[in-house]
Amino acid sequence: MVNKYTSMAYAKADDMLFGQSKFPVKAGLGLEIGAGYTTPELNYAPRPQAGKSMEKLVKEYERITTDAMARMVQIGAPSIVLETEHVEQMSNNPSWGAAVAHAQKTIMEEYHDEYGIKCALRHTIGDIREDRDYLQLRGDKYNTFMEAFEECAKAGADLLSVESMGGKEVFDYSILRNDTAGMLFGIGVLGSMDMEMIWADIAAIAKKTGTVCAGDTDCAQANTAMFIAGGLLDKNLAHTTAIVARAISAARSLCAYEAGAVGPGKDCGYENTIIKSISGVPIAQEGKTSTCAHSDLMGNLTMQCCDLWSNESVEYHGEFGGTTVQCWSETLAYDCSMMNVALKTGKAKDLRDILALSDKFRDPQGYVLAYDNAYKVGEAIAKDGNNNYLRSKNAAIESCKIVEEGVNSGKLRLTRFEASALAKVKADLVALTDDADKFMSDNLTKFKQEVAVFRPENYGL
Amino acid sequence: MLDLKLEDIDGILVRYNVALEKEMTPDEAAEELYPKDELIYPVAKAIYEGEEDDVVDALQAAIDAGKKPIDLIDDALMVGMGVVTQLYDEGIIFLPNVMMSADAMLNGIEYCKSKTTDVPESKGKVVCHVAEGDVHDIGKNIVAALLRAAGYDVIDLGRDVPVDEVIQAVTKEKPILLTGTALMTTTMYAFKEINDKLLEKGIKVPFACGGGAVNQDFVSQYDLGVYGEEAADAPKIADAIVAGTTDIAALREEFHKH
Repeated sequence: MVNKYTSMAYAKADDMLFGQSKFPVKAGLGLEIGAGYTTPELNYAPRPQAGKSMEKLVKEYERITTDAMARMVQIGAPSIVLETEHVEQMSNNPSWGAAVAHAQKTIMEEYHDEYGIKCALRHTIGDIREDRDYLQLRGDKYNTFMEAFEECAKAGADLLSVESMGGKEVFDYSILRNDTAGMLFGIGVLGSMDMEMIWADIAAIAKKTGTVCAGDTDCAQANTAMFIAGGLLDKNLAHTTAIVARAISAARSLCAYEAGAVGPGKDCGYENTIIKSISGVPIAQEGKTSTCAHSDLMGNLTMQCCDLWSNESVEYHGEFGGTTVQCWSETLAYDCSMMNVALKTGKAKDLRDILALSDKFRDPQGYVLAYDNAYKVGEAIAKDGNNNYLRSKNAAIESCKIVEEGVNSGKLRLTRFEASALAKVKADLVALTDDADKFMSDNLTKFKQEVAVFRPENYGL
Repeated sequence: MLDLKLEDIDGILVRYNVALEKEMTPDEAAEELYPKDELIYPVAKAIYEGEEDDVVDALQAAIDAGKKPIDLIDDALMVGMGVVTQLYDEGIIFLPNVMMSADAMLNGIEYCKSKTTDVPESKGKVVCHVAEGDVHDIGKNIVAALLRAAGYDVIDLGRDVPVDEVIQAVTKEKPILLTGTALMTTTMYAFKEINDKLLEKGIKVPFACGGGAVNQDFVSQYDLGVYGEEAADAPKIADAIVAGTTDIAALREEFHKH
């Protein structure tokens, strides 16, 4: 059952805060997320050779888990979430993923029993639904994909997530060709359709196993745009185009919560502040603490309304200060400590604003994602919440308007190139039909011709 | 919400891209670079604009005026693409422009080939692939497009390519360069296996690797590895090989930035 959001969870943007969500989530061993405090969420990747066998992988994750839990206790951190993003072997062989989850949870239970540290384990299943040439969203691999969720949940994972790929074949083609309708079709229409299907099934597994149906991220598409866009001097994609992709992604990632997910959304979903404004679910975010994985232009801003604070991913190896998971979990924990002090001393709104303002004018992406503007994008989505296409289009147009307002204020400065890219994408959007069926029909025809790897049957079309 | 005064923002951050933006517009810069020949100019301009139909129309006009189709590939299509890649390298135009121009150029090459029995010569063969177990291929697609745009014959093996299939392709095609991309730490280990199997066969082809989790330290661990930090490095590495730099150490010296 899919219940679409048509109103906002918060009456106004100023009501949104880090460490607090409208609908906190209890998970794992004594943890409550979004219930008045923030918690670090540590993410890691095994070393390259660790994927050779299940035994090697389990051993690697045991080292990672023990190192991280030990460091949290050593510095007096009250809570931690560990997120294991599956390498493909763990999702293609659900018993491998389950073995890792069991090993990790056993160690976490020992630390919880001995020290009382609140903790939970998130497993992010790999979206393995493809073969070499095509996405295979509804094909043979679907059962294995769902089995991976269920086996990991039964073996100890508390929070279930995925970074799903629906619409990516059309999006990848479109983003490299400045095709605005294709971006909207890939993320807002095809992506949303796939999300509604998989998250209904993941929610059923979570219910059956007593685990938390957490949430998704549009990493495969909006983050692809953000990474191609790169830094201020990179010349691969206009940042004004990238933020339009991001705004659309909020309408798409919201589908998880409409199909039964309850949060926390995934860390790399930079669209999560928009989603929190509509749904009230707790969210994970990453920023300056994810420089170990990638660079972005909003390292502080993303912390503004987070409930879990993450490092995205770091390869497990040694550093001067310990292993990478120890160093980064410690950094995350001190950031959370700062936010939690702000919450206890009544200074949280000031800190939130300082975090947002430090990056708000750095780039159009941060400008739109600053919580006050993110709320406006949320309103544009909720206005036509029942129509995946229209709400995606609304979000895209609203993001263009927000950037224009920023430019008009004199505070957000664009290059001529960014300004002309914005004008193009806005003109493209305004020219699009309001009829979702017509948009679907037009784009199905177009992309069947232009994108050789696009298979409509992946979406039941 | 707290706010910053306009005059305070410059003390917090600097929009270097705005401060350093070139005066000349991309169209003006392109105009300066187009060849002057009245039959070649419209082909080059249509390539820059990424207009496939205009490219074909301009090619046909040149053929009607007596130009040989096979010559138009190097003398018009590659020249037009050269304008595009120069503007991209100089930071004047962005990647989507290059991709659209590359599509238009490839379409133009097919058109020229359809009008002649002559076979065009490429600058060299490059085999591209995404590591076994890895299906993230947008980076490889960009690499392949930029290589084709630079005049290379690209053998695209696709994504999630088994190690032995890569070895087989290199053995058969004898490329000047092999490229590999990967997003994940556990899949990029396949690069080392490819390296070892190539060396077992005595094949010492430069192996340019890059993508998500791939870094210079990792690529430096196997003998044939040359790290490419950006997709745009791939045609530059190929150009260096064509120009005579085939030694891996010399390529690393030139392209390893860290």
